[in-house]
Amino acid sequence: MNEIFYIDYSTNDSKTYSDLFSDIKQENKYTNICQYDNFYKVFKHIVTSILLDKEVVLLDSDFTISEKEDLLSDVEIFETEYSFENEIDFNHLKKKISESNSNWKITLFTSGTTGKPKKISHSKSTLIDNIRINEKRINDIWGYAYSPTHMAGLQVFLQALLNHNTIVKLFGLPKTNIISSILKNKVTHLSATPTFYKLLLPKETSFDFVQNVTFGGEKLPETLKNQLSELFPKAKFLNIYASTEAGALFAAHNDTFKIKPNLQSYVKVENDVLYVHKDKVGHSDNIQFENEWYNTGDIVEIVEENPLTIRFISRKNEMINVGGYKVNPHEVENLILTFEEITEVKVYSRPNSVLGNMICADIVLTKNKSLTKQELIQRLKNHLQDFKIPRIIKFVETIEKTKTGKIKRA
Amino acid sequence: MEEKLLNILNELLQSTGRDKITSINDEMKLREDLGFDSFQLAELTVYIEEEFGIDIFEDGLIATIGEIKAKLK
Repeated sequence: MNEIFYIDYSTNDSKTYSDLFSDIKQENKYTNICQYDNFYKVFKHIVTSILLDKEVVLLDSDFTISEKEDLLSDVEIFETEYSFENEIDFNHLKKKISESNSNWKITLFTSGTTGKPKKISHSKSTLIDNIRINEKRINDIWGYAYSPTHMAGLQVFLQALLNHNTIVKLFGLPKTNIISSILKNKVTHLSATPTFYKLLLPKETSFDFVQNVTFGGEKLPETLKNQLSELFPKAKFLNIYASTEAGALFAAHNDTFKIKPNLQSYVKVENDVLYVHKDKVGHSDNIQFENEWYNTGDIVEIVEENPLTIRFISRKNEMINVGGYKVNPHEVENLILTFEEITEVKVYSRPNSVLGNMICADIVLTKNKSLTKQELIQRLKNHLQDFKIPRIIKFVETIEKTKTGKIKRA
Repeated sequence: MEEKLLNILNELLQSTGRDKITSINDEMKLREDLGFDSFQLAELTVYIEEEFGIDIFEDGLIATIGEIKAKLK
């Protein structure tokens, strides 16, 4: 059993599970809005929300003020006081987790398909009940390479927390610190996007203690997989399919996902599109169900009918995957069109070996108006998170349209 | 080749509001010394590929100017 809950090598932060619960006990105010730079504070806030059985709303720390106002416009923000009479510890958390009547709700935001990010709320049943809690996992040490406010990071955090594991922060660290952190803390489990794993190449050392290397968020290129096998000679490789709407649903050792027996009746493929039954999907006002089925927008190929086994061909057609972060080109275009210097814009992607994809924009300037690339990017920084901002900007005369007047997309 | 590379680096530095540099040396680190983040490194690959026809990050991330020059030789 690991006494250490969280380690951040770059700030020399180290917290035990006792620290976590005593820090929670010491506070007496709780608000449902959770937005911090510091991962420990995010984790502490989530644990508090579970202990209090109250809602928590996760916001990326880099959402700008205007983005935040927009996102929270239909959220009921509250603040309440609390106190724990007696000492609290991990057993209290376990007890709360096992209680059946739970009001606990966790809300995240995902890029929507038509402009504004979608608010999705999960309960214990769609999120926590699927976490694998197992005696065998008791000594797992997790290298944490996701943002805690997105589904992947949330799943890894809950997995580590509920198994009383140690979380070693790797996200945002430079290559040398990532390597030191993994080695020094004898990390056994890594879960990250392919873009993150690329940071470890070219190979400087091999990580012999790592038992599990999990991939999510982006398609894993075969060459990368082979290079990583040299870095992690003893590890099992696992691909995870997860979405903010449905959590982490499937895992596979290669690119074919065999649907587990308990999920077979909640998943179906129609016209090459993957559908998930609403019982397995979080709650959102923006999710449209087709007869109780959620259209994931992911195009799949059926490898076997029974048990249902699939391979992913493409995910959510128009979304652009930048290093695991999904960008909705419509959201960016709509924002750019609010600038008076610009009459037309097309936001698109191009493949890139650093980020997987890069955001580009073709801009048609308004007659007699001028705007430089620097000015445009500076303005966008006030409204958008970094990964959504186009970096390759071309000023053009016209943008090609389809017969119905929509922007022609490849 | 060094001059073209210097120009590309300076364009990138300027577009992010930083000062131009007058020279480059092989030891200079892209992230730590030039202050580039992943987005800027992604842009860098595009400009270098347009100029030299080579994707410098194709085999993995490189860290210094010297390593870039080695790829472009």
